[in-house]
Amino acid sequence: MSELLSNLLQDARIWQGHKHRKTNQSAELTGYPALDNQLGGLGWPRGALSECLLDTCGIGELHLVLPLMQRVTAAGKTIFWLNPPHTPYAPALTREGVNLDHLVMVNTRDQGDFLWTMENCLRSPVTGLVLAWPGKLASRDVRRLQLASEAGGNVCVLFRNRRFTEQNSPAALRLELIPGEYQELKVNVLKRRGSWPGQRCSIALEHRANIPPEDSPRVVQGPWPRAGN
Amino acid sequence: MLWLYLHFPNLLLDHIRRSQDAIGALAIVDSAGQGVVQACPTARDLGISPGMRLKTALGLAPDINIMRADTNQEAWLLENQARWLYHYAAHITLAPPDGLWAEVSSLQKLYGGLPAIWQTVEQALTERQLTAWVAIGHTPMAARLLAHTGKGECKADKGHILTALGNLPLLAAGFDKKSCTRLQRLGLNTLGEVFALPTAELARRLSPELLVIVQKIQGTRADPKAPWQPPHTFRQRADFIQEVEYSQGLMFSLRRILAELEEDLCWRQQDTDTLLLALQHRHEEPTRLRIRTTGPEHRAEVFQKLIQLKLDKQPLRAPVIGLVLAVKRFTGREAPGGQDLLGENQDLNEAWHTLISRLQARLGEQALKQLAPRDDHRPECAWSASEVQKSSKRQASTSAQLPHRPLWLLKGPRPLPQTPVAWHSGPERISGGWWDGQRVHRDYYIAQLPGGELAWVFRDVHDGWFIHGWFG
Repeated sequence: MSELLSNLLQDARIWQGHKHRKTNQSAELTGYPALDNQLGGLGWPRGALSECLLDTCGIGELHLVLPLMQRVTAAGKTIFWLNPPHTPYAPALTREGVNLDHLVMVNTRDQGDFLWTMENCLRSPVTGLVLAWPGKLASRDVRRLQLASEAGGNVCVLFRNRRFTEQNSPAALRLELIPGEYQELKVNVLKRRGSWPGQRCSIALEHRANIPPEDSPRVVQGPWPRAGN
Repeated sequence: MLWLYLHFPNLLLDHIRRSQDAIGALAIVDSAGQGVVQACPTARDLGISPGMRLKTALGLAPDINIMRADTNQEAWLLENQARWLYHYAAHITLAPPDGLWAEVSSLQKLYGGLPAIWQTVEQALTERQLTAWVAIGHTPMAARLLAHTGKGECKADKGHILTALGNLPLLAAGFDKKSCTRLQRLGLNTLGEVFALPTAELARRLSPELLVIVQKIQGTRADPKAPWQPPHTFRQRADFIQEVEYSQGLMFSLRRILAELEEDLCWRQQDTDTLLLALQHRHEEPTRLRIRTTGPEHRAEVFQKLIQLKLDKQPLRAPVIGLVLAVKRFTGREAPGGQDLLGENQDLNEAWHTLISRLQARLGEQALKQLAPRDDHRPECAWSASEVQKSSKRQASTSAQLPHRPLWLLKGPRPLPQTPVAWHSGPERISGGWWDGQRVHRDYYIAQLPGGELAWVFRDVHDGWFIHGWFG
């Protein structure tokens, strides 16, 4: 086989539906063994976009990237948060062991600025991870970001609404996040490089709210009637 | 002692011609706007010469560019020349409006002789595209008189200098008009003939003041010159005779100014992180731009890229007639330290500063934030956002002492829309803020909403239910 062809196969840029083979694309472990297994033992791809599609905040989406955040800040690399929908809460991040000195929040006014900023962050060698909430993105723009990501070799996670699931996307990894009944997070792999999609797994994340796993509501049930009524 | 005198006959003209590359004939008129003071070579080819009336000049060349001389600007320009000359000589004195003295006898050893000094100065003048008449004299006055003739020579011999001075006509000697007339009536026409007069007679017949001048030229009377001190700021300006309408047109002169800034910073062994750029308009207030780098910087190309970004972002409000670039904050240049053998650290550090500066220049400084926890019990006060800074210090791990909190905090509490399906912990009472008027009195719960998300909700003292955060 020619060298060119074998390179293509090694880089997992060609699907080989019948064969499930380990590829040598570089990636960062997610920190959740159940998810890593579904992703061919690799995790978040480096130098490519990853998309998380979800309906609403607060289902554990940040906890999904938290192990990576901890590793990246410990290595002294910078994490950029682009247009986060709410304020990342500093005391909670500190508690989780994320070094805040390496976090930079960026808020952009329009889509042009957003893409420009994202490209610059992705191409820089100081970046370790880019978390972005882009809102509506044209397919052309995702392609542009994908190219910038390839140039920089960083991990980039886009958080987008689940209604974009149907939209075609050049991102290398697409995950659909659905909250479970017991605070776990159900992950559907919609697309990944080098293999068939369709893997599903469930990650227990009840520790994010300090809830004991047996889930016995030990709260005094509320709300209560107003005193005096 | 030996003095070098630089006479700048076309200071304003040179300044304007340096700011814009292609302009037609140009003349500088006096502050009253009546007569031509300086004329560029193109204008001189058209027949315009200094001393001509403006009306005549306009008759000869109707579309000539005219700039009015401004005393303040001339003083400032002269100081500017002193700044670069200070790189070569220590003892400099200004001779307003258009001259500079530099004491050179003490420099001969450093440069290896007078011709070397002369050559260095000539070269610096060529680099800066300046017209200057240079002369050397054994007294400040002598140097100045010789320079004004435009025939200065690089000779230190006192006898030679005195001969050259002796041949000067009386009118060139700088005496007042009355004395000049009286000397001419005596039959004296050159300075040499005045030198030959006995001093006592000169003082008695003419005036003691005249004697003082003559003695200062000859060097028999002390003529101390106070040394000039360079200011601790950098300020350069460019004036455009033709209005600039596009920011691209500004870059031509900015490039030159930034190169001068880099040279100045290298010479001072300092860095800066703030440039102030003022663009002057004809009928409006000047546009003031602040260009900041996140780290100390001295390279012209970095500044140029940042300014370009800033100008791309902010189109010109009105045509620009001049620009001023000022630097007031200087920081000492740090020796590269804490570098490993491969030098990787330094590169990353620099890349970080470059990236953040670029983002700040395009998005504005407010767009980038860094977070930090703060000691307060109220959730909305327990964090702070600050400008981005590179800090090398390791954060103390206080993670164990912090209470359990959600990763997302809403920008403000939002009314709870639905009844939660499950309650997980609580209540946690937070009460505080009586000391600064932002009273908080709430019971916090962790609750699961019907959509599956975990929310941090609270009931306030008025019995309202609100969401304050998400456990993302």
